[in-house]
Amino acid sequence: MSINRRGFIRTGIAGAAGIAISPAVIPQIQNVEDEKVIYRTLGRTGLKVPVISFGVMRSDNPALCKAAYDKGIKLFDTANGYQNGNNETMLGNLFKDYRRDSFFLATKVKAAGISREGTPSAETTAEDFLSKFSTSLTRLQMDYVDILYVHDISNPEMLDFKPIINTVKKLKKEGKIRFIGFSTHRNEAAVIEAAASKGDWDVILTSYNFQQSYRKELDAAVHKAAEAGIGIVAMKTLAGGGFLDKEKTKPINTTAAIKWALSNPDIHTTIPGMTQFDQLDLNVKILADVTLTEQEKKDILVACSQPGLFCSGCEECIPACPLRLSVPDLMRAYMYAYGYSNPSQAYSLLKELRYGNDPCKNCSGSCSVKCSRDFNVKERITDISRLIDVPVEFLA
Amino acid sequence: MQNRILLLFVACFFSTASLAQEPVFPDLNGYKIKTDYPVYLPDNLWDFINGAADSYLAYGFVDLHVAEYKKGKDVIKVEIYRHSDHTMAFGIYSSERSPSFKFVSIGAQGYIADGAINFFKGNYYVKIKTYSKKEKVLQAEENLATRVAGILEGDVTMPPILTQFPSEGRKLNEETYINESVLGHNFLNKAFRALYQIGNDVFSIFIFEGTSAEEAEKTAKAYMASAGIDPTGTIDNRFVLSDGYNGTIFLAWKDKRIVVISGLAKDQAEIADKYTSGILK
Repeated sequence: MSINRRGFIRTGIAGAAGIAISPAVIPQIQNVEDEKVIYRTLGRTGLKVPVISFGVMRSDNPALCKAAYDKGIKLFDTANGYQNGNNETMLGNLFKDYRRDSFFLATKVKAAGISREGTPSAETTAEDFLSKFSTSLTRLQMDYVDILYVHDISNPEMLDFKPIINTVKKLKKEGKIRFIGFSTHRNEAAVIEAAASKGDWDVILTSYNFQQSYRKELDAAVHKAAEAGIGIVAMKTLAGGGFLDKEKTKPINTTAAIKWALSNPDIHTTIPGMTQFDQLDLNVKILADVTLTEQEKKDILVACSQPGLFCSGCEECIPACPLRLSVPDLMRAYMYAYGYSNPSQAYSLLKELRYGNDPCKNCSGSCSVKCSRDFNVKERITDISRLIDVPVEFLA
Repeated sequence: MQNRILLLFVACFFSTASLAQEPVFPDLNGYKIKTDYPVYLPDNLWDFINGAADSYLAYGFVDLHVAEYKKGKDVIKVEIYRHSDHTMAFGIYSSERSPSFKFVSIGAQGYIADGAINFFKGNYYVKIKTYSKKEKVLQAEENLATRVAGILEGDVTMPPILTQFPSEGRKLNEETYINESVLGHNFLNKAFRALYQIGNDVFSIFIFEGTSAEEAEKTAKAYMASAGIDPTGTIDNRFVLSDGYNGTIFLAWKDKRIVVISGLAKDQAEIADKYTSGILK
């Protein structure tokens, strides 16, 4: 590697002459040889996708996407709403000069007016959905996308909502999308289970990570969907953020987390988000080797054993509690106070719940609630409930 | 235990008290306000905006308050995102801004696009949206945006460092703030970027404002070191690198400030020199 230490202009404009002769170089990472890349078939789509794809959502750097493409990553995942459309625009500007059949592009469009329960409203119209998709195609500068996901389905009811289903089917027929999918990150097991028995969906993008407490149900649903020929793409494989604790002192072994997801053969590819070349470097190595090393297995085990502060909301605790306390809400209050130093938020929630300052006081002996995240539920409830006695003016 | 928790809450009180006021949604004539959304925090922002949440978290997201204004079938939704400071609010706002939008004078800056009015002010990034096409509703939405901006406290100016970018060739409303991983490098953080076009040449200028001259030099030298240049003992402060991913990079620093230019060819040092000198006076 040649080095130019007297670079640009230490000596004024004249320095430029030296620059052209011997620039220093940041080397690119090594490519994985094509024949070593592990491909999986994305269900009935027949698309052969490398096990690592690219969740572009946060990246604003086309050079990073170009590098990923050069290293063997072929499926790029964006959405109509990411960066208010700038994400799609960036990808469009990059890929306009590439052979269209040399990469796969997936985007997502969110139906308008979806309630918090995941059900449609009067605002959920085909016109709005079509208009957004049309905007996406314009930004992407493409005639079609390979996968169009209906963004964020959390209620199985939405799978049968004709204005949207018929719209995506029409787009597929017109050749503007090759395959129909949806993304889900709440109530995933129920939604995937329901989709598996319908013939409409080619691909499902689901959150999938080692920390989900409803593993059994989710795996069963994913398996059923994969058996039915639906391609399965995993997101949120790092269990949200890459750290085990809110203080960000315990980083997750990201390679292990991604390999763990891929250890399920029903998962066809993953879309880790990347904003750094270092992250790309790490993920590119997985392209050719998804086997968990002994250390990585250990790291996953350790990570799984960390209860942390985040309640996954599985609600298994509620029937186990003799008072039927809304334990997930109480755990949330605990997290607000201790995780986010936001006692006023915790107080508001406790006030809404109306459980008093020690709801467990009449329960003698050991607590019958066995938390799937291994929280000591009784201790946490006792601890956080005292907040209700703190004068509100002290917290507001 | 009681002492511990009270102490914690006292400490929390002082830390949260400095975060500024809780947003209060203003009335809008003829509309009913629905505010039964939870207050979204970093932990559950995903529930509201899905994968876009990561971008907000990267810009110091604190919390989100949501309200819906309803009149008959017409709905106007207001989302008030609070970030850790003014620069972060500008960062997330600018990452979602496009120069093609119609800009309006709401807050520090705002725009109207496809039934949405987005603006930032102080630590807040506000997004207001309606799916209605009725002129009356769109007018009500504008009124609401103005009222929300009036209620929120905070700075109504653009980040002052933007004035340091030379004006010649600068593309309007394309300035951004990047909090993490500038140019995809983990050692480059917290930069303002402006886009330039001179003739057919399109290039970006990044300004990093460190807390000290030592920090700036350390960051610049980390970039040099990653390019294989041994920065030990160098007294120079202007270099050209060939970044294997980002192409030719012009790197210079002075005092607390670093300037990086990307997008120019290595034989365009004259242009780089001119702009760099304009910033590192």
